[in-house]
Amino acid sequence: MKLNWFSPLPPAKSEIAHYTARLLPVLAAHAEITLWSDRTEFDTELKKYAEVRCYRPEHIPWVDLNRSDMCVYHMGNSAHFHSSIWQVSRRHPGVVILHDTSLHHLFVEFYWDQLEDPHQYLAQMEYYYGEAGRRDASEFYMGTAHDIYYMAKQYPLTLLAVGNALGVLVHTQGAFEIIKHAGCQPVAYAPLPFAGEPRPPRHQSLKSLSESNVALCRLIVFGFIGDNRRLDTLLDALAGLPARNRFHLNVYGQISNEDSLRAKIYALGLDELVTLHGFVTEAELDAALATAHLAINLRYPSMGEASASQLRIWSYALPSLVTQVDWYATLPDDAVAFVRVEHEVEDIQAHLNAFLNEPARFDAMGKRGRQLLEEHHAPETYVQSLMNVVAAAQDYRPHAAFFKLAQKTGQDMSEWMTPAAFDRAREKVAGEIAAL
Amino acid sequence: MRILIATTQVPFVSGGAETLAQGLCDALRFAGHEAEIVAVPFKWYPPETILDHMLACRLLDLTESAGTNVDLLIGLKFPAYLIPHPNKVLWILHQHRAAYELWEHPLGDLIHAPDGVQIRDAIRHADRQIIPDAKAIFALSRNVAERLERFCGIQATPLYAPVPHAEKFYCASAEEYLFYPSRLSRAKRQSLVLEALSLCRQSVRVRFAGAAEQPAYLEEIRTEAERLGVHERVEWLGTVTEEDKWRLYAHALGVIFPPVDEDYGYVTLEAMLSAKPVITCADSGGTLEFVRPEESGLIAEPTPESLAAAMDYVWENRNHAKLWGEAGRRHYHNLNVTWPETVRRLLS
Repeated sequence: MKLNWFSPLPPAKSEIAHYTARLLPVLAAHAEITLWSDRTEFDTELKKYAEVRCYRPEHIPWVDLNRSDMCVYHMGNSAHFHSSIWQVSRRHPGVVILHDTSLHHLFVEFYWDQLEDPHQYLAQMEYYYGEAGRRDASEFYMGTAHDIYYMAKQYPLTLLAVGNALGVLVHTQGAFEIIKHAGCQPVAYAPLPFAGEPRPPRHQSLKSLSESNVALCRLIVFGFIGDNRRLDTLLDALAGLPARNRFHLNVYGQISNEDSLRAKIYALGLDELVTLHGFVTEAELDAALATAHLAINLRYPSMGEASASQLRIWSYALPSLVTQVDWYATLPDDAVAFVRVEHEVEDIQAHLNAFLNEPARFDAMGKRGRQLLEEHHAPETYVQSLMNVVAAAQDYRPHAAFFKLAQKTGQDMSEWMTPAAFDRAREKVAGEIAAL
Repeated sequence: MRILIATTQVPFVSGGAETLAQGLCDALRFAGHEAEIVAVPFKWYPPETILDHMLACRLLDLTESAGTNVDLLIGLKFPAYLIPHPNKVLWILHQHRAAYELWEHPLGDLIHAPDGVQIRDAIRHADRQIIPDAKAIFALSRNVAERLERFCGIQATPLYAPVPHAEKFYCASAEEYLFYPSRLSRAKRQSLVLEALSLCRQSVRVRFAGAAEQPAYLEEIRTEAERLGVHERVEWLGTVTEEDKWRLYAHALGVIFPPVDEDYGYVTLEAMLSAKPVITCADSGGTLEFVRPEESGLIAEPTPESLAAAMDYVWENRNHAKLWGEAGRRHYHNLNVTWPETVRRLLS
């Protein structure tokens, strides 16, 4: 089996890049993999498991794609990492692994900024959401109404990402419910994989934290820190906590509005309790996770993703706070501590206090997370699911061609036939296409 | 019976398939049947167009014409052989080769399309679904039958086509040339012959008859002949009349025919009828069903060196050439490839 794998690659600052790097050793045991990247820089370690090729969407060696058994395209919500991949997938159908279901950000960036063609954006909005979609999109583009979060929630444009796919693999049950009836291609759900590597024991047990009134509880937030990571809210909660001096918050990763965040930290008097580390190496982040006591992994709004960060947190048997939405809301309540969207500050403070008073419960929470990771997120199981989708997609491939033919024929017929004649002819044509 | 022969037509291009269809039509009429050719125009690029044409064929209703039943449909070529009919017999000249044995071949074009593999799979799927609907499935040669079985798991009976106007071919005194009659195209490999010619030790001359499949190709190949320094030893006759063709065969020292994986190869049989030895290549497909090495001709490796050696041999060993040619003619007659027999088998 030969697979072409279109994905961001390390050192790209993308969780999907890390996902590919972690999965590759297992994947390479099942198939001959060629990694395709639209960047020239990539981690050379990857070459131990796969050939790496660079491409530009306007110059694709179609022969090489046609020679493989299947192309696998990773779709996430960033045009920076995924617009090239999407462009290739539109011309050469394959399996789409959908990391986010809400992709409006991707298409806004692609059509507005990269292509500089808002008309195509409006046309797509009309195609998928009708007149109402086009109207809202127009107002959004003109800046007269709606923001990106409204548009992303109302009009996720998921089908624009998977409409041409021969098969789709998703990582959340919610995404599966959205996609499964959207088209005729096979759709499968498999929990996001994460290799639960053996981790060194924690440097300080949680129990001892409660016994000492001075020991510092290390909180950790990591990843790409945008508004939806709720860092502002976390700072508000920490600032209002009487026992705040028992905590130190470490933030790792690129921050979208770092200046205003620093100003807020200073304004709240938290500058001794919060450290912004910025982007660090994987090894540094691993070291930080190994010594952290509690992870804060809030997301609101979410893009429908399953969180690789959450799996990474569990790999360290770290307890964590998560927002009770979408995929996060489906997690067992003994493996995470939920923060309700409407009661963020209140819930965060309650959990931080509980962390000090009931360390055993949080210790158990972290261990339960680790157990779930090992039971449900094994890479080997994930790869098997992926191979099943690839096989189903291969079977579906000729049918996808016939469906496109049906669509094209129907459109053509509707342009010159009367409605009554079209209705009569449509059945016959559909029957003959089905016979093919 | 009222019989329709369903085939495809590439406007402005004519070759063996058109000759066969007309021959079959004439033979059916001679046998007392009403027969007509229905030729569906075919364009294969961009690749999505292929599916359009497949659907167009499926939507055709040839069960009746002007109020009277069509008793039998004989399908010859893709996608015309997809036309539905309750009493259909297939005599497959070839499938859409770019989706099969030419998929990864340098001559294949479909693999270069962005959605090439999807179109390929759609063609294969349709063939597998619809070909078995026929009451009987024949293939033009063992080569075509083997491809059908290899790729589609469908068995077909080889049924050779008679050479049109077989009685007109004759043998005369050999003159100083090898004859290569075929349309000029990469698949026919006239370029390989030119390269071989440049390596010949003997003063071999070649006469090429046939029009270029694409006008630019003639210019390309003429330039190639000049580059190789063989242009004074070749003649480009273009399209010739049937009479000229028979004469050119008759006076040739031998016939050279090294195409890539030919479906059948009328040229081979025409050479045999003219009692001329055939020089072909080991990957030339259908020709190998007839040429017996060192009995009726030579089979070279598809390299300029090997082909040159074969051309030199025939040029130098005229007695062998004569004997091989005569053996080829006997072999042809032993095959009993006649229109009455072909019609009998198709209608049986």
